[in-house]
Amino acid sequence: MKAETLLLAVGIEAGYGRVQVLWGIDLAVLERETVVLLGANGAGKTTLLKTLLGLVPAWRGAVRFLGEEVTAWRTDHRVRRGMAYMSETAVFPGMTIEENLLIGGQFLSGSALRRRTGELYAIFPALGERKRALASSLSGGQRKMLGIAKALAGDPRLLVMDEPSAGLSPLFVKEVIRVLEQFRSRGLTLLVAEQNVKFLELADRVYTLEGGRIGFAGTVAAMHENDALKRAYFGLK
Amino acid sequence: MLIYTLLAGLLFGLYFSLMGLGLNLMFGVMRIVNLAHGDFLMLGAFLAFWLFNLFALNPIPGVAVAFALFLLAGLPLYYLLVPRLLAARDPEMLSFILFFGFSQVIEAVATIAFGTSERSIPGGSMARAAAAVASLLDLAYRPGPIAFLGQSFPVAWLAAGIVSALAVLLIYVYLYRTRLGYLTRAVMASREEAISTGIDVHRVSAIAFGIGIALAAVAGVFVPFMLGSITPAMGVDVTITSFAVIVIGSLGNPLGTVLGGILYGVSYMFMQSYYSSWANLLPYLLLIAVLLVRPSGLLGRQVRRA
Repeated sequence: MKAETLLLAVGIEAGYGRVQVLWGIDLAVLERETVVLLGANGAGKTTLLKTLLGLVPAWRGAVRFLGEEVTAWRTDHRVRRGMAYMSETAVFPGMTIEENLLIGGQFLSGSALRRRTGELYAIFPALGERKRALASSLSGGQRKMLGIAKALAGDPRLLVMDEPSAGLSPLFVKEVIRVLEQFRSRGLTLLVAEQNVKFLELADRVYTLEGGRIGFAGTVAAMHENDALKRAYFGLK
Repeated sequence: MLIYTLLAGLLFGLYFSLMGLGLNLMFGVMRIVNLAHGDFLMLGAFLAFWLFNLFALNPIPGVAVAFALFLLAGLPLYYLLVPRLLAARDPEMLSFILFFGFSQVIEAVATIAFGTSERSIPGGSMARAAAAVASLLDLAYRPGPIAFLGQSFPVAWLAAGIVSALAVLLIYVYLYRTRLGYLTRAVMASREEAISTGIDVHRVSAIAFGIGIALAAVAGVFVPFMLGSITPAMGVDVTITSFAVIVIGSLGNPLGTVLGGILYGVSYMFMQSYYSSWANLLPYLLLIAVLLVRPSGLLGRQVRRA
């Protein structure tokens, strides 16, 4: 059975003021697949994710989600439809763990939200033990876990993540990958922007972004067969 | 004399908290400075005056009418003024100019509509309301001042203190115990992260804007008893006092307003009692002192975030 295309971006161009950052981006994410968007600092990863979410307006091109054209939709409408975004900040530091989850699940009814936060506390027991603690009291790694839990609190169809490894030690990067693997195996669709190649362990497909343009699109295996990409991203000669 | 001054200062402090509460809520959520805040308070005062004179409606039920009317008026006003302001490069600065202009328009229109003469509501109306409440609760009360901790205070002062304390409590419940409150605090903490999370920031901000001016109108109902007569030109002084209160507490933290209000109220009463000719300088002196010594307010940056 062919997987449904969850997210489709065609010919996306976007930027800030007069500075164009993205140049004709085509990207697709199929249901239940994990797509990693690989690129160096300044390649345009965050701008692309923000454009897909409606946080930055697209100058040209179209974004379709679940078969609907959402290019002109506001971010809250896209989130309500099933997209979730985990920014680099990820959480509200001045609010408690519980409040962060309640905000993440704002569109659920009271009973559905209680059920969902219960599930998330079972997956992240360290968060469940400190529901009333301020997010600012958590370590960098725990904050990232809370960020994932907050983004998933609304039970989204697609989770879009901006550099989940940023500021984390290698040990915590491993832990984040382990947790995402767990959600992936439950059927969650992921689009992860990263510069850490460790995240390719999760990927079904990879896009590389260079200077606001897609450089490569394909599987990890195909990426390994390409000498130029191996040199650029894996440091291999 | 000392105990009386202290207790009166606490009552006025609660009232000043109410005066500043809406202004601080708006600043916290939208990062805009509503220089027309005092003018909304003045309109609330005129509403109470006309409700009393035309319909013989006591100021206490007038509080509910003022809150509901100004909340409803605030929602469309937000969509008319604020979204375009927030899209500007420096909304904080621009809000000074826009709301200063708006303040002038409100004052001019109020002057045309009501004239410049001073208005008031008799203090006896509050005593009659207190007598009605006392008879409902089967309490012995003769209309007149109420004794409290051995001191005697006008009923209106106690009513203003109680209504102000209730307003603070309700704002606390709204911000910390309701879903909409969580979303409001999220917008206060980080507008950008709130948008990324899918919060409809304009809906949340519009409600906060409505509540902000509704609280100003409620404070306005007590103007004749707490600040003196009602005139269309009173808005500027009220805005400055409210601004001093929220800067002392903590700019952007609505509950810090209570600390600012009480400190301001007690200082104000001590100045009135011992150096009355200097009392009008108080808001400016406290503003300068706080901005020089602790610019983030007494509660500081830590609680400003949410």
